Amino acid sequence: MKKIYTYIVIILFIGSSCNEKLDLKPISSATTVTFYATTNDFIQSINGVYNSLQSGIKSSSPFADAGYPDRQLGLSEIRSDNLYAVADGPRVYEPINNFHKTISSNAYVEEAWNSNFNGIFRANILLDQLEKNGDVIAPDNLKTRIEAEAKFLRAFFYFDLVKWFGKLPIITYPVSVDEAVNIPRSPVGDVYQLIIDDLKFAADNLPQPESYAVGDKGRATKYAAKGMLALVYMTRSGPTYDIEGPGLGLNEWNLAMPLLDEIIANPNYAFGTSYNDIFSWSNENNSEVIFDVQYAAGYDPVVGATYPSLLAPVDFLRSAGKTKVYRIKRVSNDLLARYETGDTRKDFCIHQTGFVFNNVQEIGSFVKKYVDITNIPNNNADWPINFIVLRYTDILLLKAECILHGAPGSQANDVDAVINQVRQRAGLSGTKTNITLSELLDERRKEFLGEGSRWHDLVRFGMVESVMTSWIASEDVLNQIRPFQKDYILYPLPQAELDVKVGLYEQNKGY
Amino acid sequence: MKKNWKSIKELLKVFYYSKPFLIMRITVFLLLFSVIQVMGENSYSQNTRLSLNLKDVSIENVLDEIESQSEFYFLFNQKLVNVDRKVDINTKNKRISDILDDIFAGEDVNCLVIDRQILLSPEYMTEAVNVTRDRQPQEIVVTGKVTDEDGNSIPGVNIVIKGTITGTITGADGNYSIEVDDPNATLVFSFVGMRSQEVVVGSQTTINIEMAVDEIGIGEVVAVGYGTQRKRDVTGAMASYSADNIQERGVIRVDQALVGQMAGVQVKQTSGVLGSGFSIQVRGAGSISAGNEPLYVIDGFPLATTSPNASGSFNVGNPLDNINPSDIESIQVLKDAASASIYGSRAANGVVIITTKQGKKGEPKISLNISSGFSEASRKLELLNTDQFIDRATEMINAMWVASGSGRTSGQTTEERRQILGLGEGLVNTDYMLDDRWAQPGYGGLHAIDWQDEMFRKGLVQNYQISASGANEKVKYYFSGNYSKQEGMIINMDYTNYSARANVEVKASNNLTLGIKLAPSFSIGNDPGIEGKNSLLHHIVSLSPIQEDLPENVNVFDYHAYKWLIATSQLNSPITKSKYTIGQTKRIRTLASIFADYQIAEGLVFKITANLDNTDNNIKSYIPYTVMGTLTRRQLQPGVSTSGSFNTYRKQSFVNENTLSYNKVIDDIHNLSVVTGASYNSNKLETASLNSLNGFGNPVINTLNAASAITGNTFETKDVLISFFGRAQYSFNDKYLITSSIRRDGSSRFGTNTRYGWFPSASVGWRVTNENFMSNVKLINDLKLRISWGKSGNYNIGDYSSIPLLGTSNCTFNNALAYGQVPISITNPNLSWETSKTVDFGFDISLLKNRISASFDYYNKLNQELLLNVPIPRVTGFPSSLSNIGKVRNKGWEVEIVSHNMTSDFQWTTSLNLSHNANKVVSLAGGQKQILIPSKFDISHSILEVGQPMYSINVVRQIGILSKEDIANNVALYGNQKEGDPKYFDYNKDGMIDANDRVIVGHPNPDYIWGVKNSFKYKGFDLEILVQGQSGGSIYSLFGRSLNRTGMVFSDNTLATYNDRWRSAENPGAGEVGKAYSTFGRIKNTDWLWSSDYLRVRNITLGYDLNTLLKSINARMYITAENFFGYDKYKGGYNPEAANTDLSGNSLYPEAGDYGGLPLPRSLILGLNINF
Repeated sequence: MKKIYTYIVIILFIGSSCNEKLDLKPISSATTVTFYATTNDFIQSINGVYNSLQSGIKSSSPFADAGYPDRQLGLSEIRSDNLYAVADGPRVYEPINNFHKTISSNAYVEEAWNSNFNGIFRANILLDQLEKNGDVIAPDNLKTRIEAEAKFLRAFFYFDLVKWFGKLPIITYPVSVDEAVNIPRSPVGDVYQLIIDDLKFAADNLPQPESYAVGDKGRATKYAAKGMLALVYMTRSGPTYDIEGPGLGLNEWNLAMPLLDEIIANPNYAFGTSYNDIFSWSNENNSEVIFDVQYAAGYDPVVGATYPSLLAPVDFLRSAGKTKVYRIKRVSNDLLARYETGDTRKDFCIHQTGFVFNNVQEIGSFVKKYVDITNIPNNNADWPINFIVLRYTDILLLKAECILHGAPGSQANDVDAVINQVRQRAGLSGTKTNITLSELLDERRKEFLGEGSRWHDLVRFGMVESVMTSWIASEDVLNQIRPFQKDYILYPLPQAELDVKVGLYEQNKGY
Repeated sequence: MKKNWKSIKELLKVFYYSKPFLIMRITVFLLLFSVIQVMGENSYSQNTRLSLNLKDVSIENVLDEIESQSEFYFLFNQKLVNVDRKVDINTKNKRISDILDDIFAGEDVNCLVIDRQILLSPEYMTEAVNVTRDRQPQEIVVTGKVTDEDGNSIPGVNIVIKGTITGTITGADGNYSIEVDDPNATLVFSFVGMRSQEVVVGSQTTINIEMAVDEIGIGEVVAVGYGTQRKRDVTGAMASYSADNIQERGVIRVDQALVGQMAGVQVKQTSGVLGSGFSIQVRGAGSISAGNEPLYVIDGFPLATTSPNASGSFNVGNPLDNINPSDIESIQVLKDAASASIYGSRAANGVVIITTKQGKKGEPKISLNISSGFSEASRKLELLNTDQFIDRATEMINAMWVASGSGRTSGQTTEERRQILGLGEGLVNTDYMLDDRWAQPGYGGLHAIDWQDEMFRKGLVQNYQISASGANEKVKYYFSGNYSKQEGMIINMDYTNYSARANVEVKASNNLTLGIKLAPSFSIGNDPGIEGKNSLLHHIVSLSPIQEDLPENVNVFDYHAYKWLIATSQLNSPITKSKYTIGQTKRIRTLASIFADYQIAEGLVFKITANLDNTDNNIKSYIPYTVMGTLTRRQLQPGVSTSGSFNTYRKQSFVNENTLSYNKVIDDIHNLSVVTGASYNSNKLETASLNSLNGFGNPVINTLNAASAITGNTFETKDVLISFFGRAQYSFNDKYLITSSIRRDGSSRFGTNTRYGWFPSASVGWRVTNENFMSNVKLINDLKLRISWGKSGNYNIGDYSSIPLLGTSNCTFNNALAYGQVPISITNPNLSWETSKTVDFGFDISLLKNRISASFDYYNKLNQELLLNVPIPRVTGFPSSLSNIGKVRNKGWEVEIVSHNMTSDFQWTTSLNLSHNANKVVSLAGGQKQILIPSKFDISHSILEVGQPMYSINVVRQIGILSKEDIANNVALYGNQKEGDPKYFDYNKDGMIDANDRVIVGHPNPDYIWGVKNSFKYKGFDLEILVQGQSGGSIYSLFGRSLNRTGMVFSDNTLATYNDRWRSAENPGAGEVGKAYSTFGRIKNTDWLWSSDYLRVRNITLGYDLNTLLKSINARMYITAENFFGYDKYKGGYNPEAANTDLSGNSLYPEAGDYGGLPLPRSLILGLNINF
């Protein structure tokens, strides 16, 4: 029997130190348990939050790219009167353009929710780790800067969300699943409070632009935070439309004014002398730029942009030997007609001359603001050009807008002069006086075409209903677009979110 | 009782017959015959008289008494002859024959008296033996030896000259001698439990015979995991496949041979790419996201479990890759948890046990197999031909023209349209203008092309195999070498495999046996990227059948694309593309096992094994720019579109297992067998990939040194499984059988708190026919009832799933890269395995003198604590979290029947298997009622809904074509639908068609799968026909999306059903396809829903034993036709089982489906099989 025991012992021997053998650490990944241990870990962590701006969470649809710029083009430009993007078949943008009711599973809509909340999660987990392990960061002010960057980005994501969806669940730390299914949507006012608190912290603690190292150009600065904060106040001041949307009807134009003035006065920023140069590939990080989403080409994984070709049709790119699956999204006739003769912005932003590809003629006009047909990257998902979120001209025009809403300032110096300055840069002569809100909106439309602001401007100016209704009546010869309703100011919540726990979130009105 | 009194002059020495190789620890079950040695005269039985007076004694005692009184000696099998029955007997001076007559009156017992030797057996077993002593004068004396597969001599084999009553029996050494008067005479060799054989004498004077165990025979032994068991003692649910006829059929993959052979085992040929693995499901699918493939165990070595990826292919190898089917001796599938749970956390999807060949005692055996033939596509898709295509294109272009503005009519000529559009000379708008050449004779110089004909070809298939085997007291060996090369049905697709195997076992001492099994292989597969979305096959069916250039010139090199083609797609000639594309997979795989067996004491054996499975795989891809993109790009930027990559993986599984087994028979009736052991199992995967960036500088070179730039990375992952297990089997008197096992598994894949799990099982069997009350039931020869319960697991999730991982998430500042890291999932530290509990009830029965044998099983399998990705609010940062939640039930039944319909000259055997499985989602996370499976293409089309089968198909139902009245009556429309467009069912009655109108219209898994095999033998000919099929399932084919969608552009070809489309109210067609030109877009609907029912004549093999013709050669010739006939209902693609594209686009809910899968190959192969 002794022998048997010996063999049993041999068999069991294999099991000794089992737990040790089973305790495998991933070979090719870091884990949160071991990460957040050095300054560099935290820098990589905040970089991961910036990544949410530029690439977002791709939806499964191959026709929808992700990231803040693509989203603005998809949900703001296409939905607005700038583009008449009716489709020859079921395209992901078509129901956005045509005000379909059933867009709660639309790839653009889902992306807006998913990417922003993922960004918020990334910011939250970083803030959480800063609190737990942030002491390892040296120097001390770097820790503050990272915290301020994280809060800036969290506010940025929430601001984007509130404009698309209205009421939102407020998440300020990494929540567990059990917690998440018990956090309903909070009123818009509460969401704004979080945004304003975060932006104030960021404005107080983010560095001056000049104190960033050259390699950090593109990170949020003090003035990026101030500019965003000003826009937040102004957006809150927009009309409510009787929906729980971004406008609260608050009269906070005067709160925005000092923030805008501070930026205007800062020597780091200046009015760009040439419209075209503002968007030049070789003139990135110019003094017009208050905040942008940065891109660069040629890296693996890719950190380049997809948005430049989002509004340009496939054959146009093909004629330069490139392929991309987007179809033509025509610039509306209404917009084409609004440009005065000689406005250089028209030719720069819009391709109107058609093109021939393989003996086939395309005659529609489309936005090609970021596309230089002679200079297209080999990888169409890897454009190097930054997307400007907030620029000096915008600050000037926002200030003008505040003044027209009654904030203290001069119509002649701060409104008319600014508009004329913008017009002159666009190659237009003559001066305009007594500019109205409506004229300001019209100027913004031409100045910021392709920058994703049109829909938000229409909403903030209180003109979305009238403008869209009359535009549809005149533009929609194919009878594709459904009648505009105020509820369409907001998008529906993604259906998948409603399905997780019935009753947790209610769907937005009208969907 | 039938009398059959015969005696012969041969002296007999019949020994206990056994098969040591097969029976191992359960030899005692095989105590079939006693050992006797008798010598005497012919007439002993006639002359001897006996007197007996016994009351209420068992027959056994009577026989004992006869033996003690006389020189008679009885041979019988206690399993077959009931000697427990009590009898009274009172005789005086009676002959033995009369005594036995009395004892066995009314019983199915045949008494064969051969001098002093008396053989008792059921009647049917001795029917063939018509031996007489009244022999005719003989001329030729044939001698020889009869052995079993191990080379052991078999005494007592009946040898009869066919059609006569003349015969003999082999002696103790297996030798025989018989006189034959006619060279054309056929000798019939038969023995209890062995397959009968017939040999034509011819000029031979020596005929040596090797007899094989009959499949339905009583001695068949099956592998059950950590040991073997006599098949008739098995108490779990198990399917067996004897690999005898693999060689006779010439299959290239093991899984290919299993199609349609076993009840409850669904073998799906999901790809037509040569060398790719089949998908096997045992008793349906029970896991939503952790894979449903079984565990494979080769010669005791459990291989790493793998599941097909989201696209349906085994991207890091299938366990059966490169394994030479000819090396396989047998395959067992453990189906219920009771038999499989000895493999614990990997057994929930069943276990496939493969045993390879081993040398057998006797003369060295050399066998050579050569086969060659061709393979081609089994079907074509019915698409629009050139005329039909032009008809549709013309209709659509005219409709678009008319819709594009007022005053535009379809009657306007191309030139008129050009004027109206204001286009310059030579410019066209292909949306609004026709190509005038379409209407001209001979298409005005355009080329009409059937792309399928251009692409499909007949491929040459060849296979060469040689093996040598043998054994003596000390050494057993089996060596084989194999070379096979198959050309595919598509240009540039082929597969070559070189493999070898050495199985050697050495008896180092009386107690110690050492062995090694080594199987290296090397394969090369070429696939230009034929299957799946946007791959070549998709292009072949989509391309316009009218082109400006010849097929091989369309939009490649310096040829441009036909204008009327490029509206949506920029397709290059798939013919040329496949010729110039390199997609080469090279794989070296080595399976190695060493073991040592030490017998510590009688019945007690310690075994230690070490196994390594190493696969080195590399895939080289290269596509030159000359066959890519547009002509403009080829000219402007040569080389830039050239792309290449080199991807490798190394997969290693190491397993060490140590077992202690003990077998003991007590008092002949208690039979105990115990095994216990421990195992260490680790799997490691290392991958590396290199990809070209920005094209190739030198497009002539196809290796990456010519690439403009290269990106690459490497990746490694590992898991460890540590296990302890034990099993006890006990049988009482061969009547009551009990098996129980338990396993404890610990896996590195799970959370620290939940790493270990217990997997118990128990099963019992009752052999009813061994009960006394059954002794009068003649109809049933054997009946065994079985009932089992067991718990097993599924641990098939990625490594490190319970650890919060970070992923790379870079950004850029000032055009420089900035590295970023972010958490990539929400993790669950309590993650553990899926468990599967199965209750199984079954019985095995043999009827009508074992002519018919059958098995039936009913099972109820509940998978719970599923590794399910539960949708969670995105505010957590993620869409879902992996949890142990949810339940899926599979219920079903299986029948297997083998019937020997005719057993005479003409032999006919029918094997049938039929199984039914119904699968149902029992619960999901929390109170959740459904999860819509995301779709990569349009809206979701499949759903997990409580109470419904997994992955049920959930789409809008088409109910006809919209009429003018429908439009006037405001029926529900999808978008801007018009008259002539399809009409959909408004499920929620809200007056419009949208995603909310989806209804469940089918489920992917078939309800029934079946296979019928008929084997015939006559003289030297053998014929086998295998028909198999399935029914009750559906396929939702996204291939339809490329071929058959509403709102299609004219430039893409479509299914021939479009000929019956709606053209006008007066000409409404078949009522299924709407008008050609529509602008409402598309919504997922029943258009792409097809029944996956099929019936297929999978294999017909006709063989001829050349021995019958040429006496000097031991050879067989055969011709085999695979997949030659078949019928299925899938008209939207080539193969109803195809899986080649990731449909969900979401790894959390893997759903692989068809988006362009090859048809099954049909092949005709001629083979020759020579034994020396």
